Amino acid sequence: MYHFNKIFAIAMIVFLTGCSIGGEKKIKIFSVEKPREKLNYDMPTPLQMEEIQWIIITSENAQEVFKKLEEAGIDPVLFGITDKDFQVLARNFAQIRQKLQETNNLLEEYKKYYEDTENSQ
Amino acid sequence: MAIAIMLITGIAGAGMYVMKLRADNATLKANQFKLETAITEQNKVLEQQKEDFTAILESNKKLNVLINTFKKDLQDLDKRFTKKNRDIGKLAIDRTKSIERIINKGGKNAARCIELASGAEHTEEELKATLKSEINPECPALANPNYVSFQ
Repeated sequence: MYHFNKIFAIAMIVFLTGCSIGGEKKIKIFSVEKPREKLNYDMPTPLQMEEIQWIIITSENAQEVFKKLEEAGIDPVLFGITDKDFQVLARNFAQIRQKLQETNNLLEEYKKYYEDTENSQ
Repeated sequence: MAIAIMLITGIAGAGMYVMKLRADNATLKANQFKLETAITEQNKVLEQQKEDFTAILESNKKLNVLINTFKKDLQDLDKRFTKKNRDIGKLAIDRTKSIERIINKGGKNAARCIELASGAEHTEEELKATLKSEINPECPALANPNYVSFQ
């Protein structure tokens, strides 16, 4: 009887621990990657510049210029800049244009980098 | 009787052991699969990083070229005003009408450059321009992509 209890006890241990061998069922976790929506802004509308008429006025042609303005029905008044300031104005315009071009190029590069390839997240 | 119980217990134990081994094997296989997937993903990430670096370098190169063009355009503009000790003021006094014409043409060209910089389409004439007389001298690199300066 003593041996039987011993064997029975061992058998019980084996059976009970055996239940854990199969392992418990686990929850499966899926992660589905959804790409971020594209911003898709249209590129800014190109500018359409209006034409300006430059008039060069010197001490010699001043009267003639004002007379022509009056004849054309334009107020005989001119907003003047010196030759040096004209050079500065031309330079300033060139810099504004370059900044515009640089910004537009950067925008295109960003668009290309994040939207053309699979970099967009 | 005892032997029979021992035998049954032994068989049961062996069965359980085999089951455990099979479960372990399945776990190991799953781990192996996960590791292989992780390696593949890591390789993909590395490949993507490599492509990104190339794209960034290429983009930087393009922007640097653009910045250098800007510098050259500004230098050319200054040169036009000061070339050979040129004094645009004196010239305007001496040849008022022709300088006025040049200034107006330059203004028109500069305005066109701004339009192009803001994204306007090139005209066919601008694209075809290859001679110095055909280009927009205010921004040749922008306005006339097919013009090659030999300076």
